[in-house]
Amino acid sequence: MNSVLDRTKQSLADFERRELKINGVSTIVYSAGVGSPLVYLHGSGTFPGFGFAKHWLKSHRVIIPYHPGFGESDDDSRIDSINDYVLHYLDLLDALELERVSLVGSSLGGWIASEIAVVQPARIEKLVLVAATGLIIDSVPSTDLYTVHPRDLLSYLVADQAVLKPFLPEGHDLDFLTLRYKETTSTARLNWERSGNPKLGQWLHRISCETLLLWGEQDRIKPVKQSDVWLAHIPNARVEIMKGVGHLPLDEAPEAATKLVSDFLKEKPRSKSAAIPLEKRAS
Amino acid sequence: MPILPNTKFLAWHFMPYSEGLPENVDDYESLWVDFPNKFFDPKKGHALYERYLQELVLCDKLGFDGVAVNEHHNTAYSLMPVPSVLAAALIPQTKGSICVMGTPSGLEHPHRLAEAYAMLDVMSGGRMEFAFPLGTPMEYWASNVNPVTARERQREALEVIMKAWTQDGPIRHNGRFYNYRYLNIWPRPYQQPHPPLYLVGSGSPGTIELAAELGFGYSSTFSPIASQLAAQKTLKERAAHYGHKIQPHQVPIVCMVYIGDDDETALAEMEPHVRFFFTVLTKAGRYLDAPGYLSMDEFRKRNGRMLPASHGGAFDWSAIREQFRVVAGTPKTVADMIEKWAEEAETSRIIFQIHRGNMPHWKVVRTITGLANEVIPMLKERRRLADEKIQVAAE
Repeated sequence: MNSVLDRTKQSLADFERRELKINGVSTIVYSAGVGSPLVYLHGSGTFPGFGFAKHWLKSHRVIIPYHPGFGESDDDSRIDSINDYVLHYLDLLDALELERVSLVGSSLGGWIASEIAVVQPARIEKLVLVAATGLIIDSVPSTDLYTVHPRDLLSYLVADQAVLKPFLPEGHDLDFLTLRYKETTSTARLNWERSGNPKLGQWLHRISCETLLLWGEQDRIKPVKQSDVWLAHIPNARVEIMKGVGHLPLDEAPEAATKLVSDFLKEKPRSKSAAIPLEKRAS
Repeated sequence: MPILPNTKFLAWHFMPYSEGLPENVDDYESLWVDFPNKFFDPKKGHALYERYLQELVLCDKLGFDGVAVNEHHNTAYSLMPVPSVLAAALIPQTKGSICVMGTPSGLEHPHRLAEAYAMLDVMSGGRMEFAFPLGTPMEYWASNVNPVTARERQREALEVIMKAWTQDGPIRHNGRFYNYRYLNIWPRPYQQPHPPLYLVGSGSPGTIELAAELGFGYSSTFSPIASQLAAQKTLKERAAHYGHKIQPHQVPIVCMVYIGDDDETALAEMEPHVRFFFTVLTKAGRYLDAPGYLSMDEFRKRNGRMLPASHGGAFDWSAIREQFRVVAGTPKTVADMIEKWAEEAETSRIIFQIHRGNMPHWKVVRTITGLANEVIPMLKERRRLADEKIQVAAE
């Protein structure tokens, strides 16, 4: 029986698929393109696929792993904290012999990317956080997706729901439901008790690379004002806000969003001391 | 075939908040989890507790072997978030056994549960029985316990409780979820080594396997009869694998009963209350799903559904009567049916749901009276006559 997931898979048709055992977990990694390595960490729903990634293939070796418990990677119930994901990815980067990479993470992937950059800042060439989760921001509250009725979910994810329609089943699609169940379960393992890492803000100052914060102006899950808080915590960061898009800029406006990312990755490194005066840092 | 020797009859109450719901209750997708508690009127609630407890006490006075209460949260479906409190209220008013079925072991600190249940057992002089559910997905929405770890917690919490009850304290427990340096509960249970124990569920293989491993009884109250029987067959086979022999009282059956003047009238008198139960009280909407509540295999096996369709808010009277143990009629009709169900389940433990939905007090009392004065004696008499026959034949 056909599943709408066949369409999801099409976006990776031209990528090479590898299966790696990372600490016992079968991890699926797709890669394509030539150039400096760009590792993309996906969010908590992989059903929209990775159609946007083709725009990076000319300038980068694009590497798209599925997190344990997501997409085509195996489930591993031992991976139930953000620290487990960070260590999993450090193992994976070692296994792929990637010494230094640019990291692009969207939503949950943004959280994981920021935590990796906190732990091994020197390993990250540049960091892009797209509507990242992970930081608990009381002054600009996030929407707790567990409290959103499933019938309203799309309107929280994207500004124009037509963007996701092709990736949603029309009738009963057990493969699709199973994927959603698997990914919701893996996400809940991480964030049912609390929505992020209450200590993340305490350590974001360790991120030394240049960082781009990419946000959709109409994000109903992580309101765009949250980017200010990230900006205040990460020493060498700047913000790009995209009009007319919600929580999934890369899916909603693939060309414009990937171009913002590509341009940022292309930029010559700025002098750090100019970006953050020492005295400001000390305070 | 008559009922098995020493068959026990229990009366189970759900204690719903069935009066005073808003007129537009049908507009609510769920009466669980987020159904606004402004609709709970404490004065009405007080009257309901009084009435419901009296109904259970009446069962005890009229000769049922025991009464049963259970636990749900954030819902008009049941006013029993803390069933131990109800058991404590029942102890001085009853003589028979009290079955608390019960607090999900992983939703409470397990040492607290072990203590509370031990207290009840000592206070009642050893009249307690306990059943541990995993808890519906709705209970996890109402608590801060991660549904993804529900099964692992349930298992470890049961381990803690069993240690606390059966080993001399103080003892240590080092686990994934619980760490006790001095597990040493006072009081210890009255019944030694511990009161009769059951697991209750919706037929998940994991729960049946756990019951088999621990040698506990098991029943799945909300599954269709065929899958209940299949679950209890699996329990017996798997328990044997672990070296336990499941006794007839460990595979209880639950029957929805109503007694009236004749079968036709009885059925008509029962129907609106069962309808109310299924179309209003069981409606749980999206909260029927909780992440990780089922294993991935079981999720696929259930075709993407968490619980049986009974919690979906639909009502098909004849389908319900075919799927579940529902009987309305004269005492004889009810007795015949109970006999058949008990025989096919090979059980000696029959639990009657003596109240359903918004059933008024007089109907409940008539059912209780009919069961106690006619149905149960009739079933026991048939057993006695059969025994006599066997004896005569043997002589």
